[in-house]
Amino acid sequence: MMRLTINGTGHQVPAEPRESLAHVLRDRLGLTATRLGCAQGSCGACNVLVDGSPVRACLLPASLAEGEDITTLEGLRDDAAMAALREAFQAEHALQCGYCTAGMLLAARDLILRGRAHDAAQVRAGLAGQLCRCTGYDGIVAAVQRAARTLSR
Amino acid sequence: MTPAAFAFSRTARWEELPALLAEPGAIPVAGAQSLMPMMALRVAEPARLVALDALPGYRDVRQSPGLLHLGAGVTHATAEDGVGPEPLRGWLARVAGGIAYRPVRNRGTIGGSLALHDPAADWPVALLALRAVAVLRHGTAERRLPLQEFLVGPFTTALAPGEVLAAIEVPRPPEDARFGWCKLAPSAGAFAEASAAMLQIPGAPPRVAVSSPEGARLMPDAPLPDDPHLARLREVALRRATA
Amino acid sequence: MEAKGWIGASLPRREDRRHLLGQGVFAADLSAPGMLELAFLRSPVAHGRIKALRRPGSAPVFAAGEIGPITLLPAGPDMPSFRQAPYPPLAEDVVRFVGQPIAACLAANRFAAEDLVAQCEAEIETLPALPDVAAALAPSAVALHPGWADNRYASGHVKAGDVAALDAPLKIRRRLSLGRQSAAPMEPRAMLAVPDRRTGELVLHISSQGPHTLRHALARMLGIPEARLRVVAPDVGGGFGAKNRLMPEEVVACALALRLDRPIRWVEDRREHLMAGAQAREHLYDLTLHATRDGIALGLEGDLWVDAGAYALWPTGAFAEAGMAARNLGGPYRIAHLDLHHHTVATTKPPMGPYRGVGRTGACFAIERLLDALADETGLSRVEIRRRNLITQQELPRVTASGLALDTGDYRAALDAVEAMLDREAIAARRAAGERIGVGIALYTEQSGHGTAEWAGRRNRVVPGHEAATLRMHPDGSLTLLTAIQSHGQGLETSLAQIVAEELGVHPDVVEVRHGDTGLSPFGFGTFASRSLVFAGGAAERAAQALAGKLRRIAAQLLQTEASEVVLRDGAACAGPASVPLADIAHAALLRQERLPAGEPPGLEAHVTYSPPEEGGVFSYAAHAAVVRVDAETGAVQLLDYCVAEDCGTMINPMIVDGQVKGGVVQGIGTALTEELRFDAEAQPLSTTFADYHLPEAAFLPEIRVTHLVTPAHSTVHGAKGVGEGGAIAPPAAIAAAVEEALADFGARIDATPVSPRRVLAAISR
Repeated sequence: MMRLTINGTGHQVPAEPRESLAHVLRDRLGLTATRLGCAQGSCGACNVLVDGSPVRACLLPASLAEGEDITTLEGLRDDAAMAALREAFQAEHALQCGYCTAGMLLAARDLILRGRAHDAAQVRAGLAGQLCRCTGYDGIVAAVQRAARTLSR
Repeated sequence: MTPAAFAFSRTARWEELPALLAEPGAIPVAGAQSLMPMMALRVAEPARLVALDALPGYRDVRQSPGLLHLGAGVTHATAEDGVGPEPLRGWLARVAGGIAYRPVRNRGTIGGSLALHDPAADWPVALLALRAVAVLRHGTAERRLPLQEFLVGPFTTALAPGEVLAAIEVPRPPEDARFGWCKLAPSAGAFAEASAAMLQIPGAPPRVAVSSPEGARLMPDAPLPDDPHLARLREVALRRATA
Repeated sequence: MEAKGWIGASLPRREDRRHLLGQGVFAADLSAPGMLELAFLRSPVAHGRIKALRRPGSAPVFAAGEIGPITLLPAGPDMPSFRQAPYPPLAEDVVRFVGQPIAACLAANRFAAEDLVAQCEAEIETLPALPDVAAALAPSAVALHPGWADNRYASGHVKAGDVAALDAPLKIRRRLSLGRQSAAPMEPRAMLAVPDRRTGELVLHISSQGPHTLRHALARMLGIPEARLRVVAPDVGGGFGAKNRLMPEEVVACALALRLDRPIRWVEDRREHLMAGAQAREHLYDLTLHATRDGIALGLEGDLWVDAGAYALWPTGAFAEAGMAARNLGGPYRIAHLDLHHHTVATTKPPMGPYRGVGRTGACFAIERLLDALADETGLSRVEIRRRNLITQQELPRVTASGLALDTGDYRAALDAVEAMLDREAIAARRAAGERIGVGIALYTEQSGHGTAEWAGRRNRVVPGHEAATLRMHPDGSLTLLTAIQSHGQGLETSLAQIVAEELGVHPDVVEVRHGDTGLSPFGFGTFASRSLVFAGGAAERAAQALAGKLRRIAAQLLQTEASEVVLRDGAACAGPASVPLADIAHAALLRQERLPAGEPPGLEAHVTYSPPEEGGVFSYAAHAAVVRVDAETGAVQLLDYCVAEDCGTMINPMIVDGQVKGGVVQGIGTALTEELRFDAEAQPLSTTFADYHLPEAAFLPEIRVTHLVTPAHSTVHGAKGVGEGGAIAPPAAIAAAVEEALADFGARIDATPVSPRRVLAAISR
């Protein structure tokens, strides 16, 4: 039995050691905001926060995540940075199909909180490894800066 | 793309490791950021993963007058955000910041990168140039190997059965030393097609390391890639790192 | 006329909220009690004969012939000269590409299903691989399919005028090629087939661009009535063409769900998508442009080949790829003489499917590269050569030499507009400072919203010439629009609501839009070919007009006036100072029919089937300009600036249009610079993960700058044209031209995509 702390709640999950955190979240706990796009760490759709920092849930055996504080997009409904990002993503048309969005939001939030969202070049560099196939990224880059401005006020 | 079944252990006691790793197919795991992709493709099918992250000192960063001691479990992100004294601090941050992506860097470890020794990886080349020493541990016994002896060949190191990489020691360079680093990769965060690192300590010949088919190697002994395009990139990387 | 308030409004998308909260529902999010998961044993070789299948004794492993009765459907254009190569859901005796499904393995979860795959092994006698067009058409090549005289699905001929008689002073010949690609939506394909024991239906939840046509094909293959198959596309994480063909996995999933009476789920992983999903592009051209010394292109002759892979995907096969490329080779130019042979070639690679820009990305690359060559040959600038050859506004409408009916627009204005966006001075200054910088320009037209004549002309087995809409007003005045397209990023839930709101004088928020479900909506074809806004928008508009007529008639009764005096606005029917809320009319029409005018039937529902009058389509167009810097040591190309001047007619929601344009451009940049499905000489795939297949990333891109010209179409909804694909058409041409210009002092020629560092260095050293 695996013991995982997710969005502040303890879970006991009858998962095999080989299951990735992404798989456990999605298929055992129904937390499907975490999406799988490549299972190789290349696309960023599966980002979750571990102890506050984004990691790839597809590259983390859930067994390794025991004892850590895991947060998914579902756990950030009341987060101020996420609220600013949601508003900015809609205003800047930073999503189309929505599949990359959760992972993108978590990466963007981290950029803002680490102070790496001052200009477009910094945001673009910081979004390395976050693939979006729909938008061409301009809306995302604008939205991250917009949210950063909102939060700095 | 799902891993084959494996068992999982975690220990907080160094002395338990040799026995855990003695099981056929057992391998140590640090951040799993290189291992999981290989397991997902089932090109790696370990029988047991032994997690190192609970071992005492595994993530320690310590400074002594001549040395920066990095526990093998120090992540790329930690190095990116700054460890140790300048100028080493800036150099390590520069190398770390080019490895994969921030969410990968948050889990991936320096020790894992060295112990896997993917010939396209960044740390082996950079730390080899920086005269790093590997601290190997078997139970409670420790030994030290310069990286050029630790890095045996592609995906091969001098680790003995039951032994793990516990730490890396990087000699503190003089203030006026220079470091050159060039990584050529098809996209930001991708594995290098060519990389080169140079440590220039005034009064001494430059120490230059490159990626090669045989893994990270010091110049001038590194073999060239067979692929002429990669060989050409290697020359460019060398030129830029040493400029 | 009422104010046209909602048309042209950059209304924030209603789709966004659920995704921003992580509450979108994609097919892989679904599960069902008792569900089994499916994994496939796939061919490890490109071509071979299956001798035996070894599998664990009693395990649920199914080979061809073991999943129940399957009827293979003919695919490709409905003409005898198109050779048949139907795609069996599981390989019968021969495998024809690496990754072709051989057996289906079922288990409680995907991990265990893959364990089962690992225990199975197909013993295969290897046959010669046909890794590319040259190998497939070599005289000694084995025939990939029984009875074929050579490895061509079909050839075609586009002929106009008389190229041979031109006797043009300039003849410029080029061999050009476009790499093979994957559409690579971020969501791989996924499905869950659930037998509904109450209704007897099989319900297939699937990531699909066109549920209705998929249902038709699946029902025929499975031998069940369409009425007992419901296909539901939930949120779909991008399609770009990759989710608009019948694929073997859904046949197997449905067949097994029926056979075992259990829910079956299959979720494609990225390796499967890159290895065995529909593939795209890979064109080869050998063309000669005939021109005058003052740079007038007169004629074009030659051949083009498309590597269509091992099978024809239902319904169209890859035939449209080559045919459209040939017909679009003239671009927006006044080229009157054409003599083009096109060949759709079978190789031992995964089947080709449609991908954003179908055919035209290659055609644009070819003609624009030839025009650049003509500019170089005549000493004219690359801008001037285009100005001289573009069809002018005065010449429109015009039927091109290949029969495309270009409707409205001003192509030269687009060229001028994009040229004006470039900062030529800054570019010159950087060049003077020693930077190796190049500029490239390319134009195209994008046939969109084409209807019956076009598709029937292509001998399509499915002719998507109409689209239906049902618009229903509920007793409280709220509305539901049911449409058969499938919106997966295009924002049609928002823009269709805008169109309905415009007609009914209501806020878009009161219009719910439901799509992608054969159990809900009327029949229709789905979202592809830049058609949804024109077709579904047109249907929605007509349905709203029909409903508006009825609302006015009832309102006239309630307001004691004539229907012609009634205006719908702000959620009410108004006549002079008097008004009645639409909710009251709805209440009357549905719950209190005694209040209706005499003879007015109860109910408030309009059902409309709509076919656009311009059956050849309406043509969007654009001029693109790329500015690159090339590192001549490493071959790396950095994109510094990318400008688009485009015209898609009236924009219903300009914000969404910008998103479509920019997204398309970046996919085209992938075609131009980073994306290539590579194979070795045995047709083994070399690009099977995102570590080997590089999608463009933010860090690699400049802002995509877009200017709009607006020339409304004559007959479409508010004069809108399709815009989904266009962005992806021109980047390879523009970027290749820019790289070539940056390398001009080497005399380098860029004639293939992607323009990778390897190709750049090879071009320099040639």
